[in-house]
Amino acid sequence: MFWRLVFQLLRGSRGRLAVAILAIVSGAAVISALLNLDLGVQNKLAQEFRTLGANIVISPASGAPAQISGAEVPSLMPERDVQAALQQLPSAQVAAAAPYLYIVARAQNIPVVVAGTWLDQAQKLDVTWKLEGNWIASRADDSHCLVGRNVARRLHLAVGNPLDLHYLDRSAQCSVTAIVDAGGTEDNQVFASLRAVQALANLPGQIGLAQLSVTGTTQVVADYAARLAAALPQYQVRPIRQVAEAEGALLGRIRLLIVSMVLLILILTALCVLGTMAALAMERRKDVGLMKSLGGSISRIVGIFLAEAGVLGAAGGLLGTILGAALSYWMGLRVFGTAIAPRWEVFPATIALMVLVTLTGAIPLRLLGNVKPADILRGE
Amino acid sequence: MFARLLGESFARNPRRKVLTAAALVIGMAVATATLTIALEVGDRLAREFRSLGANLLVTPESDTLPVEIGGVDYRPVDEGAYLNEADLGKLKTIFWRHNILGFTPFLDVPASISETGAATTLIGTWYQHEVPVPDGTKFETGASATHPWWKVQGRWFTDGADECVVGASLAGKYPAAFALGKTIHVAQNGVSGGVRSLVVTGIISTGDAEDNAVLVPLAVAQEISGHPGKFRQLFVSALTKPADALAERGERAQTDKGIQLTPTEYDRWFCSPYISSIGFQIRTVLPGTEVHAIRRVAETEGRILTRVGTLLWIVTLAALGAAALAVAATSATTVLERRAEIGVMKALGASNALVSGIFLAEQVLLAIAGGAIGFFVGAGLARFLGESIFGTPAAPRLILFPVVLALAAIIAMAGSLVPLRRAAHFRPAVILRGE
Repeated sequence: MFWRLVFQLLRGSRGRLAVAILAIVSGAAVISALLNLDLGVQNKLAQEFRTLGANIVISPASGAPAQISGAEVPSLMPERDVQAALQQLPSAQVAAAAPYLYIVARAQNIPVVVAGTWLDQAQKLDVTWKLEGNWIASRADDSHCLVGRNVARRLHLAVGNPLDLHYLDRSAQCSVTAIVDAGGTEDNQVFASLRAVQALANLPGQIGLAQLSVTGTTQVVADYAARLAAALPQYQVRPIRQVAEAEGALLGRIRLLIVSMVLLILILTALCVLGTMAALAMERRKDVGLMKSLGGSISRIVGIFLAEAGVLGAAGGLLGTILGAALSYWMGLRVFGTAIAPRWEVFPATIALMVLVTLTGAIPLRLLGNVKPADILRGE
Repeated sequence: MFARLLGESFARNPRRKVLTAAALVIGMAVATATLTIALEVGDRLAREFRSLGANLLVTPESDTLPVEIGGVDYRPVDEGAYLNEADLGKLKTIFWRHNILGFTPFLDVPASISETGAATTLIGTWYQHEVPVPDGTKFETGASATHPWWKVQGRWFTDGADECVVGASLAGKYPAAFALGKTIHVAQNGVSGGVRSLVVTGIISTGDAEDNAVLVPLAVAQEISGHPGKFRQLFVSALTKPADALAERGERAQTDKGIQLTPTEYDRWFCSPYISSIGFQIRTVLPGTEVHAIRRVAETEGRILTRVGTLLWIVTLAALGAAALAVAATSATTVLERRAEIGVMKALGASNALVSGIFLAEQVLLAIAGGAIGFFVGAGLARFLGESIFGTPAAPRLILFPVVLALAAIIAMAGSLVPLRRAAHFRPAVILRGE
């Protein structure tokens, strides 16, 4: 009987209900989409700050250059120490890591900085480089090298040309596979495999520094750096601070901006649904009068309307949440290029919010307790 | 007659009108606030992003390759080209001069410190330095603007004084020699004589090569190296617009003769604060230089700004959608609620056009009133939001006023159109009977 009355009511006034349903569904869609977006946005933006490449540098404690066989080379450390430390720590957070050995060699009798590294890893560390040519895919490839664009211009090199490097009485030859436009000091350097540079400088197993790209928030990176520093007490481990320092404040600002706008929309949508429901409830005055005159108790009558409002809110909320999840999925693709996965906690939150708002909208019904049926039926 | 009907309608049921107007006010206030913020936020965020530090690097168009490892230039001081400090004021004369937020010259000098006996790099720079600009004004800038993440324990050196700031790693290695207040004696590496005494005023931590160096005022480094008025590198922090297709074409047209910009394209490129066009303008006032974007910074900034911009427009669209929904729902409700009234009008012989006309006129009047109030409430809201998010209030945009009014009128009319079309099919008798 109770539920039959509820469904009769729902079927009764279709025009008004259509407006209410539309308001609830779109309200729920907007709210759930924005909640999903808001929860997803922090991770996505943090990732944007992270895709910059290397964020931790390991170097020998003393930065002062040492004299090695007549040529000036910054102080060195054994490669295996760093590798051992890296193996001790969880590797899941490390997106890329590469050792570097820098020497000053001569090419066409001009001093030029040659960096030996694992070129397969360096590609992931230097994501902002622009290349004319191809990367060297293997770290064991000793016969190829990359040259910075200033080096290429100064030495008149093009992709495919051979490059002779001299270091004291030793020399090495490699063929240029790409010209690097890095927008930094790397434009003045030549990049070759670590093994080839170690052989050229006669410094087997030695490196000048190591760079790591650790994924995660600033805190995660700082924690990882601290653990690395504990594992390598004799070396200097430092997070690259330039971007990390600004990240916290910037993320905070952006988040605050989005949250405040989302909050405004949330309030607006809730008010809209509330208004529609209140209007719907007032419309029911006539039904209340009729029910009362037929002997229905006021609590039962209000119960019926609350059930009606609840059903509307729950159904509209469910539909809207699903729509909203799809919407936030699309927004993620549009803004960040990767989808924002719907969060499960958004579903109950949105539906609960919608039910709450629709029930609040039914509050005017309570005023009907002291309504005299005769007045209403007379049409006043 | 029409006007009287309209007036009657407002006078007879003011409470209902207030409700409709309230929905309009709230909806339009949110629309105004989000639009104002969205219009304003690009500039604000771009400025916030300058806390990332310099995004342009100016170096001499060198005859020799810089031999730089870990931020330290290993070239002897008499090798390679230098730039003139006296020209720096010209940076504030370029087309986008107001977008140049700061610049800092650097001069590295290989030096030895008698207290430690070890070779160290002296880095000559500015912390806060007044640069005379050719138009007669002064511009204060330095590492405080281009390297905001540098942290000094103690205090920075005073510009031009015989003071220095020591890198944290270096200070950690020789704690006795580099304690705050100690005097150190430096001379250019490999050059006898010319010893200079400097007082240590602070310990600097940068997370980079400077941690192993000694920072001194630029003038001191110039004197020690014997190159007065010269420097080697200039870091510039400029407010830029994220790069797009035109920015890339403009940049490539600088080096690649194969790409030609049409005159209109060139003007648009030159007159947009792209990092490439600002770099080009810097090169014209500082001839003989190369200007590079520091891509690590510039690209992050551009990418995040573009993303946040898109995100914000989507949220603004959502806000507009929600506002439209609120207004349309209220308008629709108003029409539905007055079915009886419509029935009476039609029973008395009013045409559908007249009925629709009256209701639409009513909605438009309400929309204009509600929209106007909503605009001012929204402007206040935007002011408050701007203040709490960015520290400075967002100025109201008067251009939005007609936009918001028109938006309110269109949405209110659209919201009432559907129920009015249905009302056209009402049979008065059925409605008046109360079904």
